[in-house]
Amino acid sequence: MVEGARARVVAGGTDLFPQLGDRLPDGDLVDLGRIRDLNEMGQCPDGWLIGAGTTWSEILRAEMPSGFDGLKAAAREVGSVQIQNRATLVGNICNASPAADGIPPLLTLNAKVILVGPRGTRRMDLPDFLRGPRQTGMRQGEIVAGVLVPRGVCERSAAFRKLGARRYLVISIAMVAAVLRCDAAGRIANARVAVGAASPVARRLPALEAALEGADAAALADPGFVRPEHLAPLAPVSDVRGSAEYRCDAIAELCRRTVLDALSRSPR
Amino acid sequence: MAEVTIKVNGAPVSRDVPDAMLLVEFLREELRLTGTHVGCDTSQCGACVVHLDGRAVKSCTTLAAQAYGAEVTTIEGLAAGEELHPMQRAFHENHGLQCGFCTPGMIMTGIDMVRRYRAAGQELDEAAIRHELEGNLCRCTGYHNIVKSIRQAAGEM
Repeated sequence: MVEGARARVVAGGTDLFPQLGDRLPDGDLVDLGRIRDLNEMGQCPDGWLIGAGTTWSEILRAEMPSGFDGLKAAAREVGSVQIQNRATLVGNICNASPAADGIPPLLTLNAKVILVGPRGTRRMDLPDFLRGPRQTGMRQGEIVAGVLVPRGVCERSAAFRKLGARRYLVISIAMVAAVLRCDAAGRIANARVAVGAASPVARRLPALEAALEGADAAALADPGFVRPEHLAPLAPVSDVRGSAEYRCDAIAELCRRTVLDALSRSPR
Repeated sequence: MAEVTIKVNGAPVSRDVPDAMLLVEFLREELRLTGTHVGCDTSQCGACVVHLDGRAVKSCTTLAAQAYGAEVTTIEGLAAGEELHPMQRAFHENHGLQCGFCTPGMIMTGIDMVRRYRAAGQELDEAAIRHELEGNLCRCTGYHNIVKSIRQAAGEM
């Protein structure tokens, strides 16, 4: 890999193998799935580390702080149980699908990507790592060793909602992740909201986040709380899974419900 | 070619196979264990579910080489001689099948969910079983008796 051989890194392989269909891979596959050091997950001095080999099932079963509730909800929605047993969170971000279930929760957690290569280890903010659909900031010879969620966001309240044409085994029409810090009166002091499957890469919504500051459950009961201008960073497409107009309506409602979910989980 | 050594249903097997051979092809074509079925070949239908180191996976999206050194259990590895596994017996007694194509995958998934819920100390009720069956499709729509079968086996395993 370092010398430029055509090689692809895989962990669970659950995205890659169905994409290949009957074709052979056009180079070697390097499977990281059973490198023990990459399977570590847990608290570290800088926050929470989720190693490259960590499967969605392992995330679901782990004892994690409340800030990870959105990520856990996403873990429950990825493919099916058998896929969650093989597929990894890091593989999900490296595959960099616009509809990757893991990305919106990680964006709301300010996650950093840890890359390891011949020139050492470096960290990238997740939005910088995600260059475009199926494009990442990984250099030749590098692998992603894990993602790091910084201290401070771990204890917030979080939620995730995914809209698909059916309940299971579905590619998202849209999904929303939210992470909140609330004051003693149940008002939102700080909000982070990210939307997936509605732009080439999943995006945070700064205007909505600003509008949410000071809002409480009563304010969010207004079905028109999320306004079209809040969704400006998004560019939903019309495709077989839904029209752009439908997606915009659905995203606004999904944002409102997801923030309400997170608010209801917030300790008073 | 890749040399693949796997313990299948308790017995070690070793074969030289093409690098891109899927685990399900290894089981069906190399070992002639044709109880594991290929339905959709895109990891949706669950007819190909086997246990890899004790966990349910879809063998149509796993390379044989990735299972190197692992233990695989297929539907053929469940019965002890003439004695059916409680999950097999429950499917038999509750008529948990119509055409039978999805059945091996349903049984492997059923065993996995019973074990997992027991380990977590959670109750595997009807709603939980239906939720857990998300990765297994039955085109005969015979879910009702499948759910009944898994409920019965959960009490007997």
